[in-house]
This record gives sequence, C-alpha cells and structure tokens, in this order.
Amino acid sequence: MLSVTWTRGLLRRRRSRLVGTTIGVGVAVALLASIGTFLSASKATMATRASRGVSVAWQVEVQAGGDPTAVQHSVASFPGVTTALPVFFARTMAFTATIDGTTQTTGGGYVVGLPASYSTAFADQIRGLVGATEGILLSQQTATNLHAGPGDTMTISAAGLPDATVAVAGIVELTNADSLFQKVGAPANSQPKAPPDNVLIMPDTTWHQLFDPLATSRPELVTTQIHTDYTRPLPPDPSAAYRKVWGDGHNVELKLTGAGLVGNNLAAKLASARSDSLYAQILFLFLGLPGTVLAGLLTTEVAAAGADRRRRDQALLRTRGASTAQLVRLALVEAGLVSVVGGTVGLLGALLIGRLAFRATNFGGTTWTAAVWITASCAVGTAIALASIALPAWRDARQLTVSASRAIVGRAKNPRWQRYGFDAAALIASLIVFWLTSRNGYKLVLAIEGVPTISVNYWAFAAPALLWVAAGLLTWRVANVLLDRGRPLVTRIVRPLSGGLSGTVAASMRRQRRLLARGLTIVALSTAFAASTAVFNATYRQQAEVDAALSNGADVTVVEPPGVTVRPDQAATLGALPGVKGVTALQHRFAYVGNDLQDLHGIDPSTVVRATKLQDAYFVGGTAKQLMARLAAKPDAALVSAETARDFQLALGDALHLRLQDGRTKQFTDVPFTYAGVVKKFPSAPSDSFLVANATYVASKTGSDTVGLFLIDTNHSDTTAIAAQVQAAVGTSAKVNDIASKRRKIGSSLTSVELAGLTRVELGFALLLAAAASGLVLWLGLNERRRTFAIACALGANRRQLAGFVWSESAFVSIGGLALGSISGWAITRMIVKVLTGVFDPPPTTLAIPWSYLGFVVAAAMTATFLAASRATSTASQATIELLRDL
Amino acid sequence: MRPIEDALVHGSEVARTFGEGAGAVVAVHDAHCAVFSGDHIAVMGTSGSGKSTLLHLLAGLDAPTVGAITWPVIGTRTQLRPGPIGVVFQSPSLMPPLTVLENVTLPLLLMGMERDDAQSQARQALGRLDLEDLAEKLPEELSGGQAQRVAIARILASRPRLILADEPTGQLDLATGSHVIDALVAVATATKAGLVVNTHDPAVAERFPTRWAMADGRLTTPEVCTCSA
Repeated sequence: MLSVTWTRGLLRRRRSRLVGTTIGVGVAVALLASIGTFLSASKATMATRASRGVSVAWQVEVQAGGDPTAVQHSVASFPGVTTALPVFFARTMAFTATIDGTTQTTGGGYVVGLPASYSTAFADQIRGLVGATEGILLSQQTATNLHAGPGDTMTISAAGLPDATVAVAGIVELTNADSLFQKVGAPANSQPKAPPDNVLIMPDTTWHQLFDPLATSRPELVTTQIHTDYTRPLPPDPSAAYRKVWGDGHNVELKLTGAGLVGNNLAAKLASARSDSLYAQILFLFLGLPGTVLAGLLTTEVAAAGADRRRRDQALLRTRGASTAQLVRLALVEAGLVSVVGGTVGLLGALLIGRLAFRATNFGGTTWTAAVWITASCAVGTAIALASIALPAWRDARQLTVSASRAIVGRAKNPRWQRYGFDAAALIASLIVFWLTSRNGYKLVLAIEGVPTISVNYWAFAAPALLWVAAGLLTWRVANVLLDRGRPLVTRIVRPLSGGLSGTVAASMRRQRRLLARGLTIVALSTAFAASTAVFNATYRQQAEVDAALSNGADVTVVEPPGVTVRPDQAATLGALPGVKGVTALQHRFAYVGNDLQDLHGIDPSTVVRATKLQDAYFVGGTAKQLMARLAAKPDAALVSAETARDFQLALGDALHLRLQDGRTKQFTDVPFTYAGVVKKFPSAPSDSFLVANATYVASKTGSDTVGLFLIDTNHSDTTAIAAQVQAAVGTSAKVNDIASKRRKIGSSLTSVELAGLTRVELGFALLLAAAASGLVLWLGLNERRRTFAIACALGANRRQLAGFVWSESAFVSIGGLALGSISGWAITRMIVKVLTGVFDPPPTTLAIPWSYLGFVVAAAMTATFLAASRATSTASQATIELLRDL
Repeated sequence: MRPIEDALVHGSEVARTFGEGAGAVVAVHDAHCAVFSGDHIAVMGTSGSGKSTLLHLLAGLDAPTVGAITWPVIGTRTQLRPGPIGVVFQSPSLMPPLTVLENVTLPLLLMGMERDDAQSQARQALGRLDLEDLAEKLPEELSGGQAQRVAIARILASRPRLILADEPTGQLDLATGSHVIDALVAVATATKAGLVVNTHDPAVAERFPTRWAMADGRLTTPEVCTCSA
C-alpha cells in the first residue's frame, strides 16, 4: 500500500526526476539495442556478400596418379556442388613472337586449357580486352612482353615437345590470377608472391592436342584442376559459413582419398569476412560501449540531481518510523518503474532506428539473437536504474543520520580516488598497455587460414578503456581543483556574468564543486564521445576513400588497351572536358629488375599530384611531397618497392640498372636509374612489387612516350557522369573507370561491414548525449535549487543578479566541459585509431576532423545550456508563492 | 492618528484570492492596515488564517487581487528589497552554499555595496547578535535558533525600515524562540524600524504592544489597527 501511495506521489510531485531517469535508461537501452541490431544485420549478410565475389569456390587439383575424370565426377557428386569443370595447366619454357621484323622471347610461362562452357560457368574469371574472348588468348602482360596482338602468330616452346605455332585471337585480363595460379594445398605464406608473367589460354581440345604428349613424357609439368562452384546461401554468420565451407573442402579431400587436393577460395574469402565480423564486434566495443556507459552516467547524474530532495524525503519517512527495508523497497519500486518504462521506450526507439538506419525489422538476424539483444539491453537498463536510484537510496538509508540527510551542501571532502591518485594511475596504466600492444603492431584479430578458431587480442581494449577512466577522473580533478583552490581565478572568470556578486558566486560554486565537477565531467565525457566517434568515423570514411582512390587510381581513370599508341598530349583534351579539375598521363611498362619482371609507372611528378591524392603512407623515407620533389629534381630517379630495396641492398643515390623494352627495336635494353626512395603503394599500381620513375626519362630512353592510363581529378563531383563524357572522348577501345563504381566493388578490409548505419546511429546518440548532458543535467540541478534562488529573490535579487548565479554555473559546466572534453576526445581518438590500425587500409597519416558535425555538437550543447539557464533564470526570478511559503 | 503619508506600508481594502471559480480560496479579505516607524506589531491567528499571505503582500512579495498596497515612505514596489524591507521566514532562509558571513553580506552586495564595506557591515551585524564565532559556518552546521538569528543579523546588516517576520519561532523551542524574538525586537528598536511578526503563540504576541488578529482571511481586530483611511 505504501508503495502504491509513494509511486502515486512520485508521479505527481517528482515528475521531472522520473522523466529524466527514464529518458536516461531509454537512451542506454536504445543505443545498446540499436548496435545489436546493426551487428546482427551486418552479420546476417556478411557471409553472403563475401561469397558473392568468389567465382571459383574450389580448385581441386588432381594429384599424381589420380584420374581427372573420376575426380571430376566425385567432386560433382558432392552435396552442394553445382558446377565442376576440368582446367588444364602446362608449364612452358618460352613464348616467341616475331612482330614487325623483330623477335621477342619471354621466359617460362603457363598454357591453360579451358572447356567451352568455362566462360559461361565462371564468367568473372576472364575479361576480354582486345579481340575475341574465345580461341587462343594472351594475358595482358604477355601481350605487352611479346608486343603481340590479335591476328599475330606466336610459338610455344615446351620441354621435350616440338615448337607449336598458334594464332592469337584476343588479349584478356585474368581477374583472379592470384587464385588461379595458387599453389594448391600450400599454406598462405608459401604461396607465390605474384602470378606468372606469361600466360596463354586456349580451348581444352587444342590443349590436349598440344600437351597430352607432355603429360606422358614430363607429367610434373602438367596439372589438372577441377574448378567448382558451390551452392549458396551459406549460414549468415561468417564464422559459421567459414567452418562449413572449410569442413566441406576437407570432406571432399577425404572422399577423394588422396586423388585430389582442394584449394578452397571460398573459405579463404570467408576467413577474411570472419575477421571483418570480429572487427565489427570490436568496433562495437570501442565505439558503442562508451556511449552506453555514458548514458548510464547521465542517468546517474539525473538521479543525483534529485538526490538531496530524495534524502529529505527519506528523512521525513524515517522520522515517521519507516525502516531501512521499507526505504529500500520504495527505491526499488521507483527503479523498477523507471527500468520498465525506460526499457520499453528504448526498445521501441531501437526498433525505429533499426528500421530507418539498417532497414532491419527486428533486433537480430534470428529470434534467438533478437531475444539475446532485448534481454541484454533491458538488463543493462535495469542495472543503470538500480545503480542510479536504488543503490544510493540503500547507501543513504544505511549510512546517513536524519540530520545528515537534510544537509544540502556539506563541506566537500576530496573523494578517495582523488586522494590516492587513481586518475594518474589509470593514465599511466593506459599508456603502458598501449605501449605493450603497439609492440605487436596492433594486431587485434588473428584469423589463420585453415584454422577454424579465431583469436582476438582483448587485452588491447584495456588501453582505451583505461584512458576513458583517466579522462573522466582527471577532468573531475581539474574542475574540482579549479573551483576549490582557484577561487580567485573563478571570481575573475565569472565577473563578466555576475558583476559585483562574482566573489559570492565563486564561493557558492566552490561549496557546490562536487555537483559542478560531476556535471562538467559528464559534459566533457559526452563531448569526448561525440568527438572520438565522429573523428573515427570521418577518418574511416577518408581511408575508405583513399582505398578506393588507390585502387581506381583517381576519381576517373582511362586505361588504354595494350598495343594501342596513345600520346600524352591527349591529357590536354581530357582536361578541357567539363567537370575535370586535373589530368595526368601515366606510362605503364614492364621492367626487369634482375630476373624479376615488375610493373613500371612513368609519371610526371608535377601533374600527378593535381590528378590524384598521394598519401604519405604510400612512401617510406619521406612524405609524398618530398618523394615527388626528389623525382622532379633528378630525371633518372626511381622509386622501388621495399622488397627490391632490401634484396638489392640499395642506398639513396645508388645506381639501378633496369631492362626496359625499347619502343623502336622491341628489345629489352639496359636503362640506368638512380635509387631515390621506397614506394609501397601508388594509384592504380599492383599490390606486389612495382617501380615509379619520370615519364620523360623513360620516354627518352625507350623511344616511346606511349601512355598506359590517364588519371583524372573531378573534385569528387559526379564521377559517373564525367566518366561517361570521358568515355565518349576517348572512344570505346579504352576502359574508363570511375571511383563511385570502384567503391561499390571493393570488398577488402572492413568495407564489407556496412558502417554507414552504425555511424548515423552513433553520431545521433553522441549528439543527443552531449545536448542532454549540457541541458538536462544543468536544468535538473538548477531546478532542484529553486529554493535557493527563491531565497535570493526574497532578499531582493533582481533578474540580472539571479542570472549571474545561473549563468556563471552554466558557463563553467558547459564551456569547461566542452574544452576539457575536446582534449580528452582528441587523445582518445588518437589512441583508438592507433589501436584499430587493422581496420584501416591504408593506415591514416592524419585524422579527418568533421568540423561541421563537431560544430553542430557544440551548437547543440550550447543551445541546450542556453535553454536550461534561461528557463532556470526565468523560474528563479518568478519565485512562486508556494516556494516562498516553503521558506 | 498618524498621517498615511508617514506610513511605511499601507493596505486599503486589500484582498488576495488564490485560484478561480468554485475552487477559489480567499486568503485575505478586505484588509485595512498601516505600519509606521517604531511600530512593533504581532499578528495573531491560527494556521491558514491568512497571516503569511498578508505578510507577503505587505513585503511586496505578492500582489493583492483587490485593493491596493502602498509604501508611502519607502517608494514603489521595485524599491522595497534589498534594503528598506527585511523579511524573516518561518524556516531558516539562508543560502546553503554560502557561509554565515557570506549570507549576511549577500543583501548588501545585492544593494550594490562594495565587497569590503559589505563584509565589514555584516561582521558588525553578526557582532551585535553575538554570532561572530559562526561567521565561517555553513547553514547546515547551525542549529535552528542560530540560523534564525543569522537571518535576523542579515536583516540588521541591511538596516531596513520595516521588518516582517513570518512565524520566526514556529520551528523553535520556547527558550530559543524567546531569544529570536529578543533579537528581532532589539534590531527593530536599534534601527527604529517598524516590526510586524506573525505568530500563533500568545506568549510571543504578549511581548508586542500592538496585536492584530486574523481569522478566515479577515483582520478581525481593527480597533488595534492604526488605520487612518
């Protein structure tokens, strides 16, 4: 009965306190459930999306003594296998072509025999560049090496066989060359670093005519693979899908009893997706949990704003005989009411957010995950309600006397953690853990291919977690010390707002420093959360853009087909097109570094920076600007891969002799270069070793200034439309790529995790928390002190003088919180970005600061402060008769 | 009969109604009264008789719904506080985050006095009520009687012309209440201020030469009122 009466009283007389704590619990539940929805929604599609890019699921290599036909039948009959086609490989000694009176001969290579239905069954494996897509096809690099094109004839030399002459029908790009020429059964670190330079593709019937004798005489030079497609859909969770595909691959091997080994391309792709899945969980931990904890702190702060009144209520009840158990029971009723209503509001909010941000119709991919997330979110909401309402009530009921319960201010003693320096200890511990985790290169997720289990270095989370704790406690200490020992300074600071009352206002703030320091800390942590979330997300987007730009080369790229001569002056034509901001021409050649054939990019250092963004992370030993300056200063300068620099023990200024094909003689000739630095990545360059040099120097030494591609900057305006204009200008033979299309296709790293929805949700919550921390907490605190303001009013304080009290406190909490929060946010973001290095590809050299969003956060916080302070001033200056009667 | 122009406060046909329609409550009904310098008046009445409302009206903290209240000697409503009128409430009306000295200084600062002068005047006021030792205490560290005496010292410091006290002994024991009344009378006498004290305690009322009585919102003993209108 008492509980019912008490609850009714709360609803009537303590509505603002109840609403405040309910909103706090609701926000925490909504944030947690929203992130749960995101994780479930992401995981539900991650495996499917990851597997979508895999053309050949398994490459089953027939082992010595195995019967290819029997292996094919066996694989085809395995449950889930939809296609199984034989592919034949023969290693050759050389390809030779005589073009325009000059003869070129390559080194060893491969001839691949494909069945007629292969191009239909695995359409993504081969992309036609020039000429036919059936018959005798040359890979792009081989065509360049031989200077051959459709219609030319060439000779194939294989061990023990007479030379065979074939006519080239077309030039193609092998889109999955790495997996096509993998060493089946070998671990990832034993795989070839690059696919073979010389590849020729022909129909399997022709292949059998030419190489069946080789299979008999030199069987070690011939292999047969069964290329297999595998049924989809897979289990939605990438780890489960990986385990299934990995297990199925082993089952096939078991079934083949040694006749075949499985190269499991699908499992390899899913292994990457399961890392992404874990990274998604890690992002949740790093970005989502602080928000939930903050919502909890905010709720506690809201509840604490009414703590004095609650203590007085308790004191009244105790004077009328209420026992500790009864007091605790009443607090539990209040906490229960708040958690039920807050939890319901939060879940409804999360459902709405999920629908709008992730297009998710429930809280998880399955009923089970939905139940788990609903239960977990509500449990956290209940815990927050208990911690902010029931726990303090229980503590007060046990520890405080009636007279102490009526005390409002009390002489603030520094909390124990401050006396013992827990804040400094947390900061030092955070830095130590950060240093320790940095030693292994911030590898948070360890997913080894071929191993079904995956490990996460959860220890790395300790550094940012401790930094959050240290930031909160240090902010509190700074605010506390400033209000206590810095009273003369505070007096001066608040003078513009409170005039002659500044000393009294500073004294009042000093006595209330526990309350004000707590409020300021909440504002600071909210600001830090908003700042760290926004900067991390902006940096992630920036790096995803860099990844796309690196892969595509620039906003728009024009790739000229092999064998076509394109002059660099075409750049001027492209530069004149509407929307084009900058163009540069790139030569694409092949150069022998010792025996290793590498891609060589001839660039114009002065124009390349106008057409594409070069990141400092692409280079070693200097910034992008410095390395481009080095190239510009020395015509024969060349940038090489780190591997080449190491293998050849190169030092800056060393002579470097490369063999490049002469445009006139078609022969490879020796060209001297000077080693000028290391390049790790370059727009449009391959991921393995390559070289960058001055285009003018390469042209002068090879007698050819033929351009391989053009990089075009459009200042991120409508790249698709501009690409269409460029395509019209260059004709249909050249391939035009735009960054928007490339961005959609990239499947590397975390781009398979749809972060946009999470970003929207988190940024929204961060904004809400920052505004709530500034406005709600301030207003509730001021509202609870209406009596104090009523006294000032009764003493004759006018509106301006009352405003002096209110605005001084408000400004201290808001501006101080925003300032200290910005510093904390900066430090936390730097640490998170470092710890999550694995998420970024390439790692960022600078943080991206979303000024407009941060400006919006500051504006929202200041607006909330303004509204709260204005309302409090207005209420205080119209002290009601009821309040005066209370006096 | 003293001229109304010399009155510190004058109420004519004053009424104050709370709420509207059937639920309206008339707290003060058709009151006529005036207070002059040196008057020491006790307003007697039971709880809910309208004493506090009348006091709030006289202090300018509330406005009448009917009739008029003027402060002929003091000026207009905006000139009443801080300074000319000091109010003592039933419960200690000290600002919790300020020390005793800061509380006593506050009205002086609100009046625009320089900080040092204000503090000096506040210390004098505390000294006159033997409260110097409490200067650095916080309100919550005081007893109820001490807190009321500090509230009186705060009034003394600003040297008002009219002191209005609403049940100042209502929450105190007899002895402490007596000390508080002593302090109030002493302050009023020293400053030649008019003093009006609400009380339901006949023993307290006995100490005042003039006594008004209130019942059901009516000032029922007009014969003791120094009204001239």
